[in-house]
Amino acid sequence: MRVDTVSEVSAHDHAAPPTSERYGEVFDRGYEQYEGMRLGRRHAVWALTRYSMKRAMGIKKGWTSKIVPFLIYAAAALTALIPVGIESFVGEEIIQYNEFFSTLYLLEGIFVATIAPELLCGDRRENVLSLYFSRAITRLDYLIAKIGAVALLTLTISFVPAFVLWLGRQLLAAAPLASMWDNLPDLGRLLLSGTLIAIYLGTGGLMISSFTGRKSIAVAIIIFGFFTLESLVGLLQFALPEGNVARYVSLLSPTTVIGGLVIGLFQPAEPWLDVPWWICALAMATVIAFACAIMYRRYVPSN
Amino acid sequence: MLAGTSDSIIETAGLTKRYGRQIALESLDLAVPHGAVGLLGANGAGKTTLLRLLLGLSRPDAGTATVLGHDTRRDAIKVRERVGFMPESDCLPRDTTAADFVGHMAEMSGLPARMARQRAADVLYHVGLDEERYRLIKGFSTGMKQRVKLAQALVHGPGVVFLDEPTNGLDPRGRDEMLDLIDRIHRGLGIAILISSHILDDIERVCSFVVILDHGRLMLAQPLGNSNDDTGEILVRISSDAALLAARLEQAGLDVRLLDGNDVDGEIAVRPESDLAYDLIRDMVAELDLGLRSLRPRSSSLEELYIAHVGSDRERGSGDGRHAS
Repeated sequence: MRVDTVSEVSAHDHAAPPTSERYGEVFDRGYEQYEGMRLGRRHAVWALTRYSMKRAMGIKKGWTSKIVPFLIYAAAALTALIPVGIESFVGEEIIQYNEFFSTLYLLEGIFVATIAPELLCGDRRENVLSLYFSRAITRLDYLIAKIGAVALLTLTISFVPAFVLWLGRQLLAAAPLASMWDNLPDLGRLLLSGTLIAIYLGTGGLMISSFTGRKSIAVAIIIFGFFTLESLVGLLQFALPEGNVARYVSLLSPTTVIGGLVIGLFQPAEPWLDVPWWICALAMATVIAFACAIMYRRYVPSN
Repeated sequence: MLAGTSDSIIETAGLTKRYGRQIALESLDLAVPHGAVGLLGANGAGKTTLLRLLLGLSRPDAGTATVLGHDTRRDAIKVRERVGFMPESDCLPRDTTAADFVGHMAEMSGLPARMARQRAADVLYHVGLDEERYRLIKGFSTGMKQRVKLAQALVHGPGVVFLDEPTNGLDPRGRDEMLDLIDRIHRGLGIAILISSHILDDIERVCSFVVILDHGRLMLAQPLGNSNDDTGEILVRISSDAALLAARLEQAGLDVRLLDGNDVDGEIAVRPESDLAYDLIRDMVAELDLGLRSLRPRSSSLEELYIAHVGSDRERGSGDGRHAS
């Protein structure tokens, strides 16, 4: 066995890169053991969140990975800018915030069906999990990072367009700063709705994605599951007599829950299906907790 | 039981792991010194279970383990901050560049983003992927992927690196290059390595200490080339074909065996009748004008050690190296 000493290794040409003939040789380019700062778990979780968001958006990947997310962003931007543009001419509001959320809902669903499988399926299918779990994080940290990534990304669709609409309206007002101050409660409601919708749809999408390593299957199940659930709830409501049971069965439908939340928040005098907004928020929180519990069982073994 | 020393990077005491009724590791008492250490055993011997326990990924049913002074159960995160791990399986994302992924892995070990990128570039250069670091991993050969796996295990400046079957799936040339690289990382960079393998040749070539497991039990933990393993023979290594020397020594009345040697050197084993045999061999080599590379007592080979501690019925040959199976 040929053994090079450290001094021989150091004597290599510093500038010359390894050629195919010299693959595997160690060149002294100043490699030293790292003795600097180690920022701990919180930093690692945030690093994983950022990295996951970039990958889900197709950043630093081929152009085909970027098409769907950026088409959805373009559609969401138009959904916000078109009403602002029209209102600047007609001088009055042409869409209520709750109606605006209803128009965004389909885009949010497609967006989650696109990004949630990107966040989980690749790591599972390509076995990258074995590398992540050998780093300075726990399995729970991994899940927190992924939930954070899906929620932050979905928030860019569920809140940012609504914020653009709100901001546009204030800027069109005669006294923009005073108008902003007066309509601050609306902004709070938009943020609350957007955040709840982002976490609700995001965790649901992630939960489904946690069952398969194939992105295409996860996308199909999310879309098929959505339509099946909506149809089932519609059927039950049709079959059940009017009353509390039918009303609360409707809380299984994402469309109803999100609609109930935003209508209840922006028109508290006329709640949808007579269900107060906080019941809808509670239903969303229950689904979020259920999805997190399922993912916890999938990713954090008892031993 | 092996007594732990302050030089030990890994220590276990009574470490036990069961999966149902199956005992994966049974009361393992081990002290592993700083250096290049081979973890040898057949499939199912408990190597991967031991690595998982040492990384804090699995809880032992009994006993304790420390890595670099940190308890693997209480301080699993601290252990994983200071340990690099190269898994056996294919585990790289296909649609990202090597530089991006290795940098990300450095951040996952707590390094600040800028430092992570810088170290990723350095370590990819060290493993021979300088030019290729901005290419997508899906275009890499098996050998290049193994290098990326090694780079991510080194990027955060670990105190010890666990390599699980690092030559798996490589052709003979790739295997040779990988072993050379591992050897240089240990000798040139001073990083302790623990190589889990079932290929005897890999361990023998790179490691100075060996741990042999069989059915979850510790069979052997000792330095390779230990004087206790003296075979009573003299090993003669010369820089040419050894057949001529063997014939002449036999004519002189010595008990001589031709060994495999390597591509360059010839080797013979001589059973001496007295210490004068050393003088006789030296004179014979000089008379034949051969280059004498080595003349020393011959220790047991790893294969012989393995057979002695695990059993000869568990040995079989292989095209690319002897396997413990």
